[in-house]
Amino acid sequence: MTNPPAVTLDHVSKWYGQVIGINDVSIAIDGGVTGILGMNGAGKSTLFKLLMGRIRPSKGSVRLFGTNPWDSTAPYRRIGYVSESERMYDWMTSIDFVSTLARLHGMTRSEAEFRAEQALSFVDLGDVLNKEIGKYSKGMRQRVKIAAALVHDPDLLILDEPLHGCDPLARTSIMNVIREMGSRGKTVLLSSHILEEIERITEQIVILHAGRLVALGNLHAIRAMLDKHPHRILIHCEDARALASSFIDKQPVYGVRFLDNERLEIMTKDLSEAHSILPALILESGVPIHSIENPDDNLESLLGYLVGDSR
Amino acid sequence: MSRKDQIDSQGRRLATTVWTALDRKAGAIIELTVRQLKNKTSTWTVMGVSVLLLTLLSAFYIDSVRQGFESIDNDGDSVDFDGDGYPLGQEMKYGSSDYDDREYPGAAIFIPEDQINYWGVRTHSGNYTWDVFGPSKFIGNWENIASKYDGSGDECPEIIGEDLANTPYGYSPFACILADNSLYVQFLRFDGNGTLAVAEGWNAEYGRTTESYYVAPDPPSAYIDEDGLDWDSENPSQSQGFDDDGDCTQEDYYLPTGNQNNDENRNGIACDVQWIRGPDGSVLQINKDEMVDEDPVDSELLGESSHRSFIVATGKIAFAMIIGIFLPLFLALGLIRDESENGTLHYLLSKPIHRGEFIVYRLTGYLIFTGGFVLAMSLIMAIITVTIGPDGNRLGDINVWFGIGIVTVLSLAAYGSIFNAMGLVSPKYGVYFALVYGVYEFAMAVMTLFGADLVPIISVSHWSLQMIDAIVILAWPDTIMLAQMATAFNLDSGLAFFWNPPVHTFGTGSSALAMGLSIVVLLVFITFPILIGQSIFNRREID
Repeated sequence: MTNPPAVTLDHVSKWYGQVIGINDVSIAIDGGVTGILGMNGAGKSTLFKLLMGRIRPSKGSVRLFGTNPWDSTAPYRRIGYVSESERMYDWMTSIDFVSTLARLHGMTRSEAEFRAEQALSFVDLGDVLNKEIGKYSKGMRQRVKIAAALVHDPDLLILDEPLHGCDPLARTSIMNVIREMGSRGKTVLLSSHILEEIERITEQIVILHAGRLVALGNLHAIRAMLDKHPHRILIHCEDARALASSFIDKQPVYGVRFLDNERLEIMTKDLSEAHSILPALILESGVPIHSIENPDDNLESLLGYLVGDSR
Repeated sequence: MSRKDQIDSQGRRLATTVWTALDRKAGAIIELTVRQLKNKTSTWTVMGVSVLLLTLLSAFYIDSVRQGFESIDNDGDSVDFDGDGYPLGQEMKYGSSDYDDREYPGAAIFIPEDQINYWGVRTHSGNYTWDVFGPSKFIGNWENIASKYDGSGDECPEIIGEDLANTPYGYSPFACILADNSLYVQFLRFDGNGTLAVAEGWNAEYGRTTESYYVAPDPPSAYIDEDGLDWDSENPSQSQGFDDDGDCTQEDYYLPTGNQNNDENRNGIACDVQWIRGPDGSVLQINKDEMVDEDPVDSELLGESSHRSFIVATGKIAFAMIIGIFLPLFLALGLIRDESENGTLHYLLSKPIHRGEFIVYRLTGYLIFTGGFVLAMSLIMAIITVTIGPDGNRLGDINVWFGIGIVTVLSLAAYGSIFNAMGLVSPKYGVYFALVYGVYEFAMAVMTLFGADLVPIISVSHWSLQMIDAIVILAWPDTIMLAQMATAFNLDSGLAFFWNPPVHTFGTGSSALAMGLSIVVLLVFITFPILIGQSIFNRREID
């Protein structure tokens, strides 16, 4: 018997009156970490609410491990969910919070407390677990939510914007947890609107835009397509003019533009190739450099390319 | 290895069945609910107000018990309305009016012979007692005119002339001496030998006055508790009672009041009391002739009756009506709605718990918390009343208080499930529905207290109060008798108002049946809104 995939969406649409949340999305996800990328309002939260049985699809079918989550709560025995909501029971300690939720999986009190302690240690909160959640920082609260989602060792972990608003330390910790889960063979879904965040965690992505599925697959493959597209590189330096001369007529650079005397913009059709020749050319020119930026290397540009938006 | 310790393919012990897992989930939600309620300020506010209310009621009760029961003039004949020093009871015996201070026991009585009419002849002469209504002039010798009226014996002021028609007058008694030494008089009685002239449009009576004699006034206390309860409980004959003060039989009455109907209960025996008993010997009804046993010794009878009346009133009003409605209003409405509004609902619903199950666990948690509070309060009240109540059936107190506690818990459950369903039907306006419904329930309870038994049947409070009525009679079987006595003998214990025999017995009069029916109806009131709430909640999309 083959096990049904963790997540299956078959031509799923969800609209709220005239507003479309998700438009004819079909995907199947099983195993590994998958990033759901999309701007605000792209349909990420709608997608997760459909998965969590909070809303019912207007069309199509949603299945978690082969079961419809609107009709049955059975799949949640194998699912951990971290919502984007920041509201928690502030009066509870984190061990209380996590073990109470663990007991909803039918664990005994002692079992639940043991597992909660493990889960909180796993997200690096082992030494503050008797403190009230209300006294936690944003990043700590986010990790408590993750611990609560992990406490029953789920096969599928769903995280809605888990890194949003977290300090760098918490980010690193959360990213480690997610990678660890992925490496243990669990299925992890996480959403974000920041390309760079996802890139640090996984290569497998789903891109949503205006409720539609616009890309699905390996981030690097998608990026490679994007790289062949006109790109800008912005260099802050001491002497833009002097530096500019080094780039003229060097493939794959096809244009140079001065923004002012300290900022130089280079146009290229192959971003990785351009980056590979950049260090040598800069060294050669001897012009001191402050920073190099890729203003087009973000989700908006990627989307602009994918949906053919002429930005 | 015992079967319990066997392990299945997924590594779970067989002891971990679906049912134990259900218990654990229920336990977790119930515990969470109780802890949340403990963390809410409004919880402690309503509970504090409830405790304060009960403390105040108990304080009043303890105070009244400490003072004992003062003798009350149940038939109201110890008062002296006209201030002549003779109480009403004594005036009745002598046939004098207690609304006229000229009439009192032994006072001279004016017996009119004829009168100068409103029209026709205006004068009359002779030796009479004159009773004058309106401006008049008397020529002759007079005596016994009440000297306390201003101006009597003095000369008349100039504005009063001999022309009676033009004399300015008020309507108060007044007399004075005119210039010709005749007497000007209005609205007065006096004795005199001579001629009286009365102004046109007015009249005067004339006649004789009887001799007066002295009667020592009775103290008012002689008319308090003067007609005690005469009842031989060992001998359930048809006729009981004795008219100790003689106001029914009117023996020793000098002028009978003319009350000849002294058999109001129509048993053919004048001035008696009929105690109607059930087959088991308990008193079901008391029919009495008026004025018999009507002013009994209060302290002998009021103690038990007032004690029960306090318990029933506190149980019905403070427990069933106030605590029973207000606790749920503050605590049950938001059981699920608040979670949803606070954005914490998804933590619970993303776990393997069915939404319908969740509602039941939430309500259970709420009920354990509020029900525990109510049962503790009723236990405390039981301890207070058992300790300081009069000697008697105090075991019954414990049963009644326990019953009141159970009734209130059932009301809490019913209102809890109703208000919670309202919160689910309309998260935004549910609180207004609940307020309106709370007022409706309160009104139905008040109607029930005042004896309505049909209109309020579609209300929780009606059946709660009904159940308390049934419990009272099951715990204290002689309550019917006490209530009948309170009504019949004017005992002001309140029992007859706060307690009535249960009405919904299908004519059997069985209190156990009334209680069973109340429980069934209350269970319907609990279950039905839960089902509605579940059906709404199951279909709701939670954004």
